Amino acid sequence: MNEELDKFEQRLSRQPLRPIPPDWRTEILAAARASRPAPRAWLSALNPQLSTVFWPHPKAWAGLAAVWILIFALHFSMRDPSSRIAEKSAPLSPEVLVELKKQQRMFAELVGTYEPMAAARRKIFLPRPRSERVEIMVT
Amino acid sequence: MKMAAGLDISRLYDEHAQPLYAFLLNLTRDEADTRDLLQELFVKLARSPHLLAGIRAERAFLIRLAHNAAIDLMRRRGTRDKTKENFAAEMISPFAPTNDPDEKVFRENLAAALGELPEEQRAVVHLKLWEGLTFEELAAALEIPPNTAASRYRYGLDKLRERLRPLYEEMKRAES
Repeated sequence: MNEELDKFEQRLSRQPLRPIPPDWRTEILAAARASRPAPRAWLSALNPQLSTVFWPHPKAWAGLAAVWILIFALHFSMRDPSSRIAEKSAPLSPEVLVELKKQQRMFAELVGTYEPMAAARRKIFLPRPRSERVEIMVT
Repeated sequence: MKMAAGLDISRLYDEHAQPLYAFLLNLTRDEADTRDLLQELFVKLARSPHLLAGIRAERAFLIRLAHNAAIDLMRRRGTRDKTKENFAAEMISPFAPTNDPDEKVFRENLAAALGELPEEQRAVVHLKLWEGLTFEELAAALEIPPNTAASRYRYGLDKLRERLRPLYEEMKRAES
């Protein structure tokens, strides 16, 4: 039975198949050539290369990426919050303050609203002769 | 004609077009449909050369693409061409024409018998008998388990044997 089946199979497999019409080659290849994609941007050209690289184990690559994201997330969440607050509320340095005041004053002078403060005026020291100073003290 | 990303479409055509043509013709039994499917396949490969990246068994991969395209086409046609009941008798034979009268009759009967097989059995029988694929290769190409491929082949072959028995016996007698 099996031998007969083998003979039958052999008989069938010996039947030659219809050959492909030869003129199809030119037409089909021309159609394929016409549909070729235009030169692409480097990023999209890179995509097939990347898929070739990642193809064997896409899940492993995705897992690795997930682990890295987790590490970054943990890193940022575990940073000392007080240092961030300190960074935010740190006082300006004296040099910067002086520079700022200087700029403020210059701006006020330009605008014409600059008036030295009363306290500052009081502090202005006008040298006088010693005799006058005595008179004042007496009066 | 060297294609983008190193895909040589001419080489692919020269190496695989003939078996793909025979396979598609056996499935569709229509030369115009076969041509459309074959062109669609090569256009797809030219458009997306990366499809073949990392593929070791080109033939099996191309057979899978061709088979899927043929199934899609037959499903689309299924509802439209219900009138084509006399499928095997009307359609083109996948076998080469011959001048030998006995061979001619045998091939005509074989083509008709193949046409009567369900598509999934016909695909398996074709790839086993005329492409010489193993059940493992067949299974990979058609995306089915090897056991399913083997049982489909057996069922298909039994049907062919039953259908062709009188003719086959007669030819055997004539040969002996």
